[in-house]
This record gives sequence, C-alpha cells and structure tokens, in this order.
Amino acid sequence: MPKIKIPKKTPSLDMTPMVDLAFLLVTFFMLTTKFRPDEPVVVDQPSSVSEIPLPDKGVIMLTIDNRGRVFFNVEGQQTRLDILDRLAERFTLTFDEKERKRFSVLSSIGMPKEQLNNYLKATDDERKKMNLETMGIPTDSTNNELTYWINAARNVAPRYSIAIKGDRDADIPTVKRVIEILQENKANRFALITNLEGAATEEKK
Amino acid sequence: MAEVQQQDGGSDKGKHKKLRAKKASTHIDMTPMVDLAFLLLTFFILTTTFSKPKTMDITMPVKDKVEDEDRTKVPASQTLSILLTENDRIIWYMGIDDPTMPPQTNIADFSQDGSRSIRNVLLEKNKLVFDQVKLVEDSVKRGLIEDNPDVIKQHKAWVKAAEKKGLIVLIKPDDKSKYKNLVDMLDEMLVCNVGRYAIVELSDSELELIKNTQ
Repeated sequence: MPKIKIPKKTPSLDMTPMVDLAFLLVTFFMLTTKFRPDEPVVVDQPSSVSEIPLPDKGVIMLTIDNRGRVFFNVEGQQTRLDILDRLAERFTLTFDEKERKRFSVLSSIGMPKEQLNNYLKATDDERKKMNLETMGIPTDSTNNELTYWINAARNVAPRYSIAIKGDRDADIPTVKRVIEILQENKANRFALITNLEGAATEEKK
Repeated sequence: MAEVQQQDGGSDKGKHKKLRAKKASTHIDMTPMVDLAFLLLTFFILTTTFSKPKTMDITMPVKDKVEDEDRTKVPASQTLSILLTENDRIIWYMGIDDPTMPPQTNIADFSQDGSRSIRNVLLEKNKLVFDQVKLVEDSVKRGLIEDNPDVIKQHKAWVKAAEKKGLIVLIKPDDKSKYKNLVDMLDEMLVCNVGRYAIVELSDSELELIKNTQ
C-alpha cells in the first residue's frame, strides 16, 4: 500500500487585520496618554460621591499636603511666565531667561520667595531634595505670600477656576487659611478635588 | 506567524538564454514589528489612567465687613450645627449656640449606617426636602420630567432652594480635625440633599462644648 503523503504546509495565517488593530490601539493610547508631570508632593485625596469632573484646562491648583505645606500650580507656559513676571515685580526679584524658561515647564511649586531663585537654578535632583525640605508657600498673616501668587494668577488668567487639592490628613487651620486668602482675593467659588467614592475606599481601611 | 515565502520563480525557465531579473518576494517577516507593536500597546494600556479626578464645588460668602443687622438670620429650629473634632468625632446640636444656655449635644460618627451615624440624623432632620427630591425622581420615572441629567439636576436644585422649612446645616471644623472630615461632611450634604449649608467658624462657647463632651 502506498503511503499517503500529507503535503507539508506551513500553517499560515493572515495577520494583517490583527496588526492593523494593534497599531490602531497603539496610536489611540499614545495620543490619549498624557504623561503626568513630576509632582513635588504626593497627595492622597479624600473621596466623595460628587461626579463633577475637573476641567482639563484653566485650573489654578492649590495643593495642601499632609504636613500643611501649600503648593501652587497653573497650567500653560505663557500663563506661568506672565505670573512669574508679576511676582518678580511684587517680590522685587529678578529671574534670568533660563530661570523663566525653567519655571514655565515645571509643575507645582511651593517655595518661599527667598528660595525661588535657587530652586529654579537647581538641577532636577537638587530640586527634588528641596521639595522635601521646603515649607511651602508661606500663608501666615505676617508673611502672606500665597495671596500674591493668587492675585497674580487671578490677574493673568481671570477666567481660570480655582481648585484645592488637599490631602485627607491636611490640617484644618491651613485649609481654612487658604480658603480665607482666596476669599480675600475675591475668589469665592472654588472646587475641592476628590476621588470618586469607591475608588478610594480600600485606602480608607 | 507571518512567514517568508520564497518562490523559486525562474527554475524551469533556465532553458531560455535570456536572463531575467529574479522576482523578489514581496513578503516581509512582520514578527518583530508586531512584537514591538504589542509591547507598546501593553505599555500604554497599563500606564493610562482614565479616572479623572472629581471635584466638589463650594461657594463661600463674599468676605466683606457685614453689619450685624444685615447678616442672614437663620431660624433656630431649623439649624443643625455640626462640630468636627479630632479622631473623626462629630458633635451636633439643634438650635442656636447660646453661652448662657448650652444646647443639648449629641455625638455621632461618619459611619453610613448605625445608631450614631450622622447620615441618619441628617436624613431624619431633612426628611422634608429629601422626600421632595425623591418626588422629583419619581416624576422622572413616570415621565413627567424629561430624563436628562441636566434637567433633573435643575429640578432638584429648584426643590432644594424652594423649601424654606428645610434643614440648615452649619459645619464647624475645629483646629484638630482633618481636611478629610470636612470633605466627608460636605459629601454628606450632597447625599442627604441638604440645600443650605455653610462652613462656619467656631465660637468660644462651642470650643467649650467640645471640651466638655470629651
């Protein structure tokens, strides 16, 4: 009996559609991903049932961490530059072109005015260290720098909304003080940034 | 897997003297490219976070020197004061804060259910408004109100604002409480449909109250 020869055939599969889809997804994720800039402080936000999303653009963000330090952040390079120029005038500081450029691309900043120049001159590693040691933007009534920051931001970008991103363990006196400074600057509407309830319940326990 | 197919195009055409350009295969091995594509895909899927942070809007009163007579008077019977203090404790009382006649204080906590739950207290005290908001939801179900989130929200806001007998809550966090407590309390206002609430400073007599309750 002659042997039946099974023709040797490489199993071939047309992968083109799958590859197309994979690339489509890659493109989608690449375009939608927004890399978060390095935040100087990690903040564990409290949760709420509120479902109002934070607007993508136009937010003046005040971060209060668990040690009660206040950080300031606003998006948009031009806006940041304008704010820095106003602050330079107020604090009688001078920033060279390099420092201005650096400021425009950084994220949250929480430095007393005396340290601003050094902070902007520093390398990334030094800056990280300074962020750990900093006391944040001073808010005391005798040395209230935060009000200048907010004032500058409100003047440069009057349409921007204000958001407070507080750590769940931030102490109330600081929070109250920040709210008070906002009120002094005629900013009576602002948002508190929270996580959606449920997403953060595990951390609570 | 994508394979390379090599075709021997001109093997039996060797008899012809004419030399013909070898027909190159148009197939390329796509495996590495596909590997890379999937690697990138995995990376982006894992690094993308879709959960946008949520916000809670609050409006504070304009900070001006307000004459005492111009201040909003709130009816004592509808006023619930919530004092937030350390270790997530809540002390609440109805009525006004009168140093000469200390109000009856109660202790509550942030649990959602239970004998001491502040939510139960708020729901009970704010039943009038809460029921009306429920009514709005019923109307939506029966088709009386358009089933559109914005429209529903508007109706609820109207109901909350129109009810003059609704509960008024004064939230008074003391210096030892945490930001979390304040946000949780504001959250309860949302859950319990309390339309009128404010964050207020503690008075001296209330600080005394907190001390005494502990």
